[in-house]
Amino acid sequence: MKPSRIPLFTTGIVLAFFYLPIAALVAKSFNSSRFSPEWKGFTLKWYSRLFERDDILAALVNSLKVAVIAASASMLLGTCAAFALHRYKSRLQDAHRVMVNVPLVLPDILMGMSLLLLFIAAGVSLSLATVTIAHITFCLSYVTLVVLARLQDFDPNIVEAARDLGATRLQAFRKITLPILFPGILAGGLLAFTLSIDDYVVTFFVKGPGSDTLPTLIYSMIKKSKELPVINALSTLMLLFTFLLVFASQRLTRPVNR
Amino acid sequence: MKRRHFITTSSAVLAAGFLPSCSGKSAKPKLTVFTWADYLSDEAKAAFEKAHGCEVVIDTFDSNEAMIAKIESGATGYDILVPSSYAVKQLESKGLLQPLDQAKLPNLANIDKTYLTHALDPEMKISAPYMMAPTCAAYLKSKVPDAEPTWGLFSRADVKGRATLLDDMREVLGAALKSLGHSLNSTDPAQLEAAAALAIEWKTNIAKFENEQYKSGIASGEFHLVHGYAGDLIAVQAENGDIEIVIPKEGASFPCDDLCIPKSAKNADLAHAFINHLCDAEVAAENMEWIGYRAPNTAAYKSLTEDFRGSPILFPPDEVFAKCEPIGYLGDKLPLWTAAWEKVKNA
Repeated sequence: MKPSRIPLFTTGIVLAFFYLPIAALVAKSFNSSRFSPEWKGFTLKWYSRLFERDDILAALVNSLKVAVIAASASMLLGTCAAFALHRYKSRLQDAHRVMVNVPLVLPDILMGMSLLLLFIAAGVSLSLATVTIAHITFCLSYVTLVVLARLQDFDPNIVEAARDLGATRLQAFRKITLPILFPGILAGGLLAFTLSIDDYVVTFFVKGPGSDTLPTLIYSMIKKSKELPVINALSTLMLLFTFLLVFASQRLTRPVNR
Repeated sequence: MKRRHFITTSSAVLAAGFLPSCSGKSAKPKLTVFTWADYLSDEAKAAFEKAHGCEVVIDTFDSNEAMIAKIESGATGYDILVPSSYAVKQLESKGLLQPLDQAKLPNLANIDKTYLTHALDPEMKISAPYMMAPTCAAYLKSKVPDAEPTWGLFSRADVKGRATLLDDMREVLGAALKSLGHSLNSTDPAQLEAAAALAIEWKTNIAKFENEQYKSGIASGEFHLVHGYAGDLIAVQAENGDIEIVIPKEGASFPCDDLCIPKSAKNADLAHAFINHLCDAEVAAENMEWIGYRAPNTAAYKSLTEDFRGSPILFPPDEVFAKCEPIGYLGDKLPLWTAAWEKVKNA
């Protein structure tokens, strides 16, 4: 019997669904017409304008800074929280679990507003630092959940075996626990990075003068700007960068001896 | 080993790139402006920075309501706000703005007197008008023959299913009110009822209420008649010569964004200087051509290029301009409007 063609079709359709909008965006970044969906000629003008736009580039740098710091900090804190939740069972830990889960379901607008009120009450002036703190707040929960899932499959006997064989606590952690958990922590970190880099609602409320991130700037550009297509150009470049990064990481993580 | 080495070095390089961001603060005074993106020309900004030895920091918002929510919660650090006129009134009613010191603003004498007669703050006590552009109708000349510049276009049988209206309560009901000969900001229940009925009649004729796609829709010929913002429509027209933009003769909304100073401003003197700078004739002329909106600044009009000054949309004939109105602040009358709009949306 011939193998069914259905999986192939499904894969094709799903991939098209994923990548067609992106392909349209890439094509549009080279289209000289701003509004027309039709092709009006090849141009690089949006790219050259992009590199003259210091404000867009500054917003990009802000977004990346916040995302990298928020992802790293929430990886660290989220892993700690997951350990605590996994190891200790008490009423306090139950409360802890609820508090970690709440930000996942809390509407963004509520979180943004309450963080803003908190910063104002504490007398902190709004800046990129407040944006970063806010992002760590909501990224933390996601990392905790991902690491916790990984911990639930984790066999504690391996650590005990290592200790029996003479490893110190720290050695057992470094050589056994961490490598096993690392894929989970990294996955949580990547999730946090993605959430941080495209957050708009929370960011809008806690940003201060000069700390526009890419999403807040783009939303505002939609209203009055004549140069919106430069965003297509920027997206194309970011896409290219992402593909290169994924490609490089696949090369780097490939098994050495084959 | 090599691979690990690569990872450590590359992450170290990345980290180093992020660290210096904390240092290197300049001692220059800072003027922070909370405004829309791309709403100030680089030249106007640079000239002010040079003249006052300061740095102008821009922060952006994308809706008046979100900006007001933020300022009302107590967010500080902004010296200038650039809301639409009705939002200025709202901020004022909440006590969030400080009055302008006219003595520091000699250039306010340049402001267009005709505009001020229907401005919401005609004496410029708390705000100075910055940029304005009308909301218009636009159609394809080849598809909509013998078009009269009136709101009645939206009831024409030959645009059925090929027209869009903005998905905006104030714009659609406002247009209907204008079309019936009432004020754009009327709060008379009977007039609003009639306006809602007319809007429902339009709704049965048009394809949809639409705020974004109408631009590419009319550029590609998918839509034959759209209701949209002049700034966008003028840019679309530059790409498709078949498009004709009109301000309906019954009048339309001609909203203005104003410059104002929040109570919490740290640099009120510099903020006044900034407003004065933007009201300077030469600066306003350059700035409005860069943005593509009209600054109501009579002294600046003569410095404009003929092309820009000749735009019948931004500079309509006096009799049309006199019929246009800014969008007003409804205050506690807002529920009347939302009820009428609900009716239209659910019809």
